[in-house]
Amino acid sequence: MTTPDSSTGASRLRTASKSRRAEMRFAYLFLLPALLLVVVFRIFPLLWGFAISFTDATGVAPSHFIGIANYVQAVSDPNFRDSIVNTLFLLATLPIWVALPMVLAILIDQGVPGGKLFRAVYFFPAVLSSVIIGSIFNVVLRYDGSFNAFLGAIGIDAVDWLGSSTTALLSLLAVQFWSTFGMGVLIFLAGLSTVPKDMVEAARLDGAKMWQIWLHVIIPSLRPIIEFSAVVTTIGVLTSMFGLIYVLTAGGPGTSTTLPEFLIWLEQGKLNQPAYAAAISMMLFVIMAGLAWLQIRIMSRNTNL
Amino acid sequence: MSEIELRNVHKRFGSVEVLHDVSLSIEEGEFTVFVGPSGCGKSTLLRVIAGLEEVTGGQIFIDGRDMTDEEPADRGLAMVFQSYALYPHMSVADNMSFGLRMARRPKHEIAEKVARSAKILRLEELLDRKPAQLSGGQRQRVAIGRAIVRDPRVFLFDEPLSNLDAELRVQMRVEIAKLHKMLGNTMIYVTHDQTEALTLADRIVVLRAGRIEQVGAPLDLYADPDNAFVAGFIGSPRMNFLKATAKGGKRLAVGGIEVEVPIATDVGAGTEVQFGVRPEHFDAAHGIDLAMTADVIEQLGSTSYLYGTISTGEAIVAQRQPGRNRAGELATLRFDPANVRLFDADGLRIR
Repeated sequence: MTTPDSSTGASRLRTASKSRRAEMRFAYLFLLPALLLVVVFRIFPLLWGFAISFTDATGVAPSHFIGIANYVQAVSDPNFRDSIVNTLFLLATLPIWVALPMVLAILIDQGVPGGKLFRAVYFFPAVLSSVIIGSIFNVVLRYDGSFNAFLGAIGIDAVDWLGSSTTALLSLLAVQFWSTFGMGVLIFLAGLSTVPKDMVEAARLDGAKMWQIWLHVIIPSLRPIIEFSAVVTTIGVLTSMFGLIYVLTAGGPGTSTTLPEFLIWLEQGKLNQPAYAAAISMMLFVIMAGLAWLQIRIMSRNTNL
Repeated sequence: MSEIELRNVHKRFGSVEVLHDVSLSIEEGEFTVFVGPSGCGKSTLLRVIAGLEEVTGGQIFIDGRDMTDEEPADRGLAMVFQSYALYPHMSVADNMSFGLRMARRPKHEIAEKVARSAKILRLEELLDRKPAQLSGGQRQRVAIGRAIVRDPRVFLFDEPLSNLDAELRVQMRVEIAKLHKMLGNTMIYVTHDQTEALTLADRIVVLRAGRIEQVGAPLDLYADPDNAFVAGFIGSPRMNFLKATAKGGKRLAVGGIEVEVPIATDVGAGTEVQFGVRPEHFDAAHGIDLAMTADVIEQLGSTSYLYGTISTGEAIVAQRQPGRNRAGELATLRFDPANVRLFDADGLRIR
């Protein structure tokens, strides 16, 4: 049945969808600058890198398509292999990167004396650039540095922390950890503030001891934070240690502190092999994406919250 | 012997005194309700009994033993929180068995207790669900189930129905009353809702600003309040308080008329007193007449509420049979002087 009412209703609907389309156009207009930046500085270089990774480009001579030769070279390149082994070593310490900030945050949250001071002190390195941190630890950790002087004072022999292949990577790890764990503490503190106090009290009334409450009530509630922290730390290890490596060890001695990121810079900037560097970048990209996916899969097992 | 006895309990948060010298005994099997406006200290009192807050002074005895410094879990209590406080990552069954599992009780004992509690609360179908998959009422039942599994001597409820909608609240109220009949445990229940207090309690403890105003059976508090605060808090709509002046003996001038009230002691002439009459006592067959201008009439079907003023300009609420009055017109209220409650200037009852 057609009534005047229904026809005005339909026209109103048309007007609504028309104005909605106009609104969408307007929204895209606002998104455009950001979108342009992403395309020009992220998507395009990514695709460009992907393209030249199949060539012998050097940036000066004309380039040729050489198939997967760069990838084959990478797999058999001992430097690349070492950089991956170094990365795996760092990633093996991931539980500590996640657990220690969490434990410290729980302690601060329980109200240990001076908690606020600790929070500020822990966070302080996060505002320093990695070059400054690297310079500080160059002074502290070098053979005649203050750390060895301190060890000497308590009767321990000096160690060449940055110059020995057995300790250089560990030293690098320690410095990176020192400079980032404060952020982890802060993230966990934010997470802890969302754990309902009632729930902890209910567990106390249920007779759970403090460690049981941590293990069975508080930490499971922090699961999203743990996931986040693990992913961010992994990405950090893979992509933001360049500054420290550059200042502290320059990838050495040998390849003992070379990570893929540093190797990419080396091949691209120092050895003038942009195509080969692009191939390594692509492999790093795939590894990172794979790791992130794996972590999320593992973490979200058995949850249907 | 009392199940729970509080002796001179004080609680201070910094410089703020939340509980002032509270002494109270609660008998075994009794359903006690702590009621009062927000900030009166009723929840703090419950948490002090639970051991979640330490007392600043005084002692707490449970079943004759001094429990003042005992851990919450060792007091033989279970508590149901307003927010339910369920563990979101555990199934209903795991939520209920958490305490037993932490105490490493044998598996068959855990299974048995969870099954019994689930049966009482009709949760059998929901045991594998997570709290997020339950409705508010179901979550509340799980929280109560978790309390039952602990086999406590005493159940503590901290405003358990506040997060539920009105209809469900009435339903759960009845369920909690049934549960008390079935289990027979001592229960302490905190609410700011006087209807919940009146319907559930064997005894009500009315609190204000950290002090106990009166303790008594619901009808005793309603009929025989110790002070104007209790008289006003218990009963809905609240009691009308009119200014009155004593005329000597038992005679009072109030609302433009003179009334003789049946009190035991005379009030000195010229003394200012508060003259309290409940809205439901203005429809008496015999008694004293008082004229009222009704501004608004709420028709509830079975009854009507008249909101208006009397000749002195004082506001008044009266409950009447439906259909007898119209808004804007004069209504004649009739009350029996026996239903008048008098309070002195400090709000204390004159009997």
